[in-house]
Amino acid sequence: MLYDKIMALYRSLTQQDFLTVITLQNDSDGKGDYIKFWGHPSLPQPTQEQLDGVK
Amino acid sequence: MSSLISSGSASGTGSMTLAAPVTNSNQTATLPDATGTVMVSGNMPAFSAYIPSNAQTISNTTFTKIQFPSEEFDTANCFDSTTNYRFTPTIAGYYQVNLTVGFGSTALGLCLTSIFKNGSRFKDGTIIPNASVGPLCVASALIYFNGTTDYVEGYGYQSSGGNLTLSANGGSAGFFQASLVRAA
Repeated sequence: MLYDKIMALYRSLTQQDFLTVITLQNDSDGKGDYIKFWGHPSLPQPTQEQLDGVK
Repeated sequence: MSSLISSGSASGTGSMTLAAPVTNSNQTATLPDATGTVMVSGNMPAFSAYIPSNAQTISNTTFTKIQFPSEEFDTANCFDSTTNYRFTPTIAGYYQVNLTVGFGSTALGLCLTSIFKNGSRFKDGTIIPNASVGPLCVASALIYFNGTTDYVEGYGYQSSGGNLTLSANGGSAGFFQASLVRAA
């Protein structure tokens, strides 16, 4: 799950962050969850390589 | 004295008939003191679609498009219930849009629904925190459509900490509707 991978990288994030400064989205088109918007003031958007590296 | 002027269309060959109702009484229909398009049932799109069974699961903290594969009615075939689950009306104007999504189990965290317009979050509905039973989240808004490219979709969001399956209850717990209120 994308949320779990992001939280594994940035443990300081809260669920509230995902309703305000970060938007995860799934358009039910078979492509799965993705980062629609990343506006966190201090943490950079993780790269696909970083996400793929989370086990 | 005011007059009533009939005007044909240069781009069409069809005729227009004004028919009297079946009655023995005289009736009067007064036209408004305004310019605009007369709305009749044939040019007022309306649809109602629903979730027929508990099937779709949405991820934690992820805005997920809700699939509404069953229709009660779709008077102008403007709702796509097979691929994109979106309403794209062909008459420009102001539409009342209703979205209700039921979350199938106790949901710690937040649940909400949102009406997306042209792919972006547009009008949020109620936010229900820490529901002790499966919550029903509602979004309702009056939205303008240009009659060509504008469309809306229904999205759900939950932050229970894990996946949640949407509730159906035979179509009563998850539905998406819209109807033209007035033309542009």
